[in-house]
Amino acid sequence: MSDGNLGADLRLAWLLSRGSDRREWWRAGLTALGAALATGFTLAAVAVASVQGQVNAPIGGGLLDRPGERSGVVLALLLLLIPVLGLLGQGARVGAVHRDRRLAGLRLAGASPARVRRIAALETGLVCLLGSALATAGAVPLLLAAWHPPARVWAGAALVAAAVPVLGALVSVVALRRVAASPLGTVRRVRPERGPSAAFPVAAVLLVAVGLLVTPEAFRGVLTAPLLVTGAVVATGAGALWLTGAAARLTGRLLAARTGRPAVLIAAERLRQDPWAAARTHAAVLLVTVVGTGFVGVRQAFLADLRGKPETLTTDLSFYTTGLDLTAAAILVALVLALAALAVGTAESLATRRRELAAQAAAGVPRAVLARALLLETALPLAPALLVAGCGGLAIGVWYAAVNGTRTMPYAALLVPFGVFGCCLLAAAASLPLLRRSVRPGELRHA
Amino acid sequence: MTDIGGPPQAATDSGRPLLAARNLTKTYGRTHALRGAGIELAAGEILAVTGPSGSGKSTLLHCLAGIVRPDGGEVTYGRERLDRLPEERLSELRRTEFGVVFQFGQLLPELTALDNVALPLLLAGTARARAHERAGAWLERFGVRGQQDLRPGELSGGQAQRVALARALVTGPRVVFADEPTGALDSLAGEQVMSALVRTARADGTAVLLVTHDAQVAAYADREVRMRDGAVAGAEVTS
Amino acid sequence: MSTRHILLGLLAAGPSHGYDLKRRHDERFPQARPLAYGQVYTTLQRLVRDGLARVEGTDADGGPERTRYRATDDGVRELARWTAQPTPPAPFVTNEIFAKVVVAILTGGDPAAYLRAQRAAHMARMRELTALKTDPGADLATVLSADYALNHLDADLRWMTTTAARLTTLTAEVDTA
Repeated sequence: MSDGNLGADLRLAWLLSRGSDRREWWRAGLTALGAALATGFTLAAVAVASVQGQVNAPIGGGLLDRPGERSGVVLALLLLLIPVLGLLGQGARVGAVHRDRRLAGLRLAGASPARVRRIAALETGLVCLLGSALATAGAVPLLLAAWHPPARVWAGAALVAAAVPVLGALVSVVALRRVAASPLGTVRRVRPERGPSAAFPVAAVLLVAVGLLVTPEAFRGVLTAPLLVTGAVVATGAGALWLTGAAARLTGRLLAARTGRPAVLIAAERLRQDPWAAARTHAAVLLVTVVGTGFVGVRQAFLADLRGKPETLTTDLSFYTTGLDLTAAAILVALVLALAALAVGTAESLATRRRELAAQAAAGVPRAVLARALLLETALPLAPALLVAGCGGLAIGVWYAAVNGTRTMPYAALLVPFGVFGCCLLAAAASLPLLRRSVRPGELRHA
Repeated sequence: MTDIGGPPQAATDSGRPLLAARNLTKTYGRTHALRGAGIELAAGEILAVTGPSGSGKSTLLHCLAGIVRPDGGEVTYGRERLDRLPEERLSELRRTEFGVVFQFGQLLPELTALDNVALPLLLAGTARARAHERAGAWLERFGVRGQQDLRPGELSGGQAQRVALARALVTGPRVVFADEPTGALDSLAGEQVMSALVRTARADGTAVLLVTHDAQVAAYADREVRMRDGAVAGAEVTS
Repeated sequence: MSTRHILLGLLAAGPSHGYDLKRRHDERFPQARPLAYGQVYTTLQRLVRDGLARVEGTDADGGPERTRYRATDDGVRELARWTAQPTPPAPFVTNEIFAKVVVAILTGGDPAAYLRAQRAAHMARMRELTALKTDPGADLATVLSADYALNHLDADLRWMTTTAARLTTLTAEVDTA
């Protein structure tokens, strides 16, 4: 290497991380957590996939006994990577302004763009390595306790534990390509016009496709009903995503022109300025809502169908309900991850604007108005998008009931979007204590 | 105002200053920002607080405007003790009786210039149309009516500061607090902002507390107070 | 400051009497020291002697007789040369404030107190000039000449601030020298 070696870059990366402020530690923590979750889910998938033929597994309520159900479990575990990706994406934004400024400073000091990217990639890679190492260290005793895994499981585990940090480093190189280019950094405070970010939807669709390919036995084959279901999920998710952006722009414009209430005015103008910010934050939430609503509908019809058949054995029923409960648990985990991403996104947007918010508070804008504006910013674009996502999920449920000849309407599914909406508001509200800290006049002292 | 050229007396008719601070102390971590600072501002007076950076000028302004609560000492506005008021009342005072202008950052980047100026009125419950009417008149007065639909990012530094002045004055405050209002401007734009502020304040009888390190900006005031190491170094009254 | 060139310049704009010239000068340079009549007449006579101006005639509309002057071609050329030539930037540093500080140290006075008083005087003058230029009726010539003075006073002030902060070192240096 012409400009510096890996050792020097490592030392620089370490020095820079050590000198960074608390928010960057938050980013590192979230990245490590995301990497750990990704490693954990993938390791579990690898372990389950490695089992061959008919077995009598001690865990999983019989779900791991046959190849068909095992495929479903592997698919579910892989799909859980989607909300993890969402969380990682939000986490990468924490303290991004500081990170960008630091990288620009390195460029100004004479580092080549390639070297700056390498240093940043090393930082991310090391953090991801920490996460994946922790997850692997936790998974190994669990595997040993469960059964004697064959050698290919260990090989797969090693591969996953190594792949996660490498992927993390590669992603950060791609993501920072523009930042590293200019030694002056982003000096202008005017925000560039940004369209919807394609990265997340593309990654999500890829994951679904890969999951279906590696588990051909799930739902008895790729080319049957599951393809339709997946299509419906992806289409509804994408539609809801687009709707979030469009709704944000439209409600922003309509409300900003008419409202006389300061909180609504501030929220509306922020939505109009950057309508796709909401879409970026809400993508994972919307996907979970489609899946969740659909699942609740399918579950209701499925159980009604089972109970309708008198010859069904009680043991069979418990087998099916265990399966359903495990799926529900997976969806809940996904929801929690998506909500965490939303909370992180809201907190980050607050932290970035803290000087500006402190100036408003100093000028006498009550904190309650700023808090309401913050919540409205989440609520306004989310409401219509969740409604569409809920309708899409409901359609899946109704379709399933119709196909199976059940005459029940999946009413319970209707509750899901509302529940998710409430959870989102709570997640956004979780950042309100940060607002209290942000508007402290101490923030005015640092220009 | 009858005495446009000359400075008002150092106290109001009743002999009491409009705003007064005594023996203020404030510590940030291990930094002693204020150690026993005291100051008096008469109604309609334009007072400059000058001093080297780190001398506690801005902290003094923050304490006087009720933005920061001092660790010790007292701040009196009229008959109220600002250092003891609840946060809600302070917030209301800052919205109605006081106006603030900082070096930059006091405008919301998402709102148009017109909405930024109208914001304090909207907060007070004024209807949007009426608030726009009054905000527009203020923009007119400061020569930035033509920029009313632009957002702060699209304004020049001087225009943004004149919009900020309009926002500080739109509620008809009795005191304007200006912390380095020309700090980010070139001298010509700074001159326009300062004359706009001083002319309006004199015409309407608004008191101004002006924090600056620039003697040419301080020369717009009636009186100068110099700070050094968190205390007032020596007050000098106009000749 | 070349009064001679300024008067020649005013004259080049059109023939004029001595009294007229003085009035136009004071209007054009509002914050400058006003010209004395005697100075105007002696300067005009020297301009005529050097061939830069000539007497065009005399007027006496009712009052006392007054000589009318006009710039010659040589005068116009001299003006072009003068306006194109840069003014020597501060050839000699004559600084009364610094002199007083040094003498105060030599005689055991209080240079810090003197600097404070000088600062107050400077600020008072700056407030006067600022009031002058912010007056709604002020014309641009007034604003610009006030600005010129303000910038110079500001430079003095900044010099005084750094000097005040370094008085201890200066005292030691002056005392040992």
